[in-house]
Amino acid sequence: MANRTIRVDYIARVEGESSLELSIRNGKVDAVRLSIFEPPRFFEALLRGRGFVEVLDIVARICGICPIAYQMSGVHAVEDALGIEVNEPIRALRRLLYCGEWIQSHALHIVMLHAPDFLGYPDAIAMARDHGEAVQRALALKKTGNDLLRLLGGREIHAINARVGGFYRVPSRAELAPVAEALKHARDQAIESLRWTGGFPFPEFVRDYEFVALRHPDEYPMNAGRIVSSAGLDIAAADYETEFIERQVPYSTALHSELKERGAYLVGPMARYALNRDHLPPEVLALANEVGLEPVCHNPFRSILVRGVEVVYACHEALRLITDYEPPSRPFVPPEPRAAIGYACTEAPRGILYHRYRIDADGTILDASLVPPTAQNQDIIEEDLREVATAGLALDEETLKARCEQSIRNHDPCISCAAHFLKLQVRRT
Amino acid sequence: MTGDQQPLALVIGIGNRDRGDDAFGPAVAHRLMGRVPSTVRILEHSGDVLALIEDWDGIPSVIVIDAMAPISKPGQVHRFDLTESPLPIGFAPSSSHALGVAETVELARSLGRLPQCLLAYLVEGEQFETGVPLSPVIAAAVADVAERVLAELSTILETDGRAQHA
Repeated sequence: MANRTIRVDYIARVEGESSLELSIRNGKVDAVRLSIFEPPRFFEALLRGRGFVEVLDIVARICGICPIAYQMSGVHAVEDALGIEVNEPIRALRRLLYCGEWIQSHALHIVMLHAPDFLGYPDAIAMARDHGEAVQRALALKKTGNDLLRLLGGREIHAINARVGGFYRVPSRAELAPVAEALKHARDQAIESLRWTGGFPFPEFVRDYEFVALRHPDEYPMNAGRIVSSAGLDIAAADYETEFIERQVPYSTALHSELKERGAYLVGPMARYALNRDHLPPEVLALANEVGLEPVCHNPFRSILVRGVEVVYACHEALRLITDYEPPSRPFVPPEPRAAIGYACTEAPRGILYHRYRIDADGTILDASLVPPTAQNQDIIEEDLREVATAGLALDEETLKARCEQSIRNHDPCISCAAHFLKLQVRRT
Repeated sequence: MTGDQQPLALVIGIGNRDRGDDAFGPAVAHRLMGRVPSTVRILEHSGDVLALIEDWDGIPSVIVIDAMAPISKPGQVHRFDLTESPLPIGFAPSSSHALGVAETVELARSLGRLPQCLLAYLVEGEQFETGVPLSPVIAAAVADVAERVLAELSTILETDGRAQHA
């Protein structure tokens, strides 16, 4: 086979900066490297020496797409260390806040970033000329998610209202009422959006992942639950570092995660759905069935459907939480510092986000460990690419290139926790 | 203008106040506060630029102020009328998110959700470091752009007034 190099210098529809190199030798995929080349951001080091009350403001800055996830893992880990138990209304408000982030993050990815792949458009701008209604729905969904974030978090991005022990201020029922009205409309739009994606052409592609997600006895997981896997893992967040390891690879500034002695695993919507489908309400399950989503989805190209199901669920759940909401007697539990280590894992839109903090007796952070979902999925993304490229060796360069980019976007990598440009390079020798 | 009345014009200063010259847009917006008629809304925008489409919904005239990467001389101010045509290549401000200002404007154009009049003032920045103030040359452009925006608003409102009385 003639030597060939395929190069994509810029892929706009991912969050962050990275590059990809595919080496094809003698007709076989030889090496796949997803490189995150941004300088390390040192957030873990930045947290050292800071007071525990500063954690939420610092970690929110890690990402402009999923700052609530960082705040939720951070607040639960600090509260775990300090022995704080929040009351039910606070717990419900945090779940409601997370619903807002899931709605806006998923809506953005489904329609603006991922859908153009399936419909053959270079971007959402071109797609909007022919599928304006779908894009309008996404904008409206995103706005509703943002409205929730603004009301509960104080602003849309890098929220300022969450604090250790609860919130600085909690909303009244009257303040939530207009958001509930918007959510009813958003739920209808989410259903239409899911049905729209249900008609997309999906490549035949099956992978045998080990799914990892939170599992809670009573609810589809967001802020609480044990870490479980499709291969039988069942641990508390405190045991995360005994089961998972991070390793450095020479071509990336981001650490890769793997399960000890088992290797790559998948976190995110596909894993959550596979491991928690039984916690979805019947009407949401009916929609999943209507669009042909299997109980366990093994085709990452169909992850767009799972995200769509989760948007419907997040709207549904947010409405339930608002209906049941009774403002707490006080907005927060006053925290008292103590020397301890705290652990937490919550479900960011892209999967489990692990935080650990060691705090000294006066409340100073001594060290911190943060493992974002995209870092955990890097090995899976590389494995997917190997399979996609192997299956597509006969494709012309442009088609193969597009398929590889689509494959990356299947996992909605939030590399803005590390990146912004994605350069794809395929080498054939 | 009462709280529920739709403004006739909107001025949006885009940028992050904590990232050096990226604070240019918010600095101009801040300077305009209290100096515009009650029919004009001033907005600072620091993050999700896709929300611009919702922000300007129903408002006939919009002026966007932003900083851009230097291409000729830091402090140079460029004015564009985006009502009929996109930002020229090379002038599109970069964004740390998937969709930047230029893409958002074009998305709105595709959807038929552009304002009737959309102007952009872009200043070439010098540095975008975290936690540092505006560069002197960029800070010097704040007052100039604010005055130019006030003149634009005067023209826009006068034209709108004539249209309403026609």
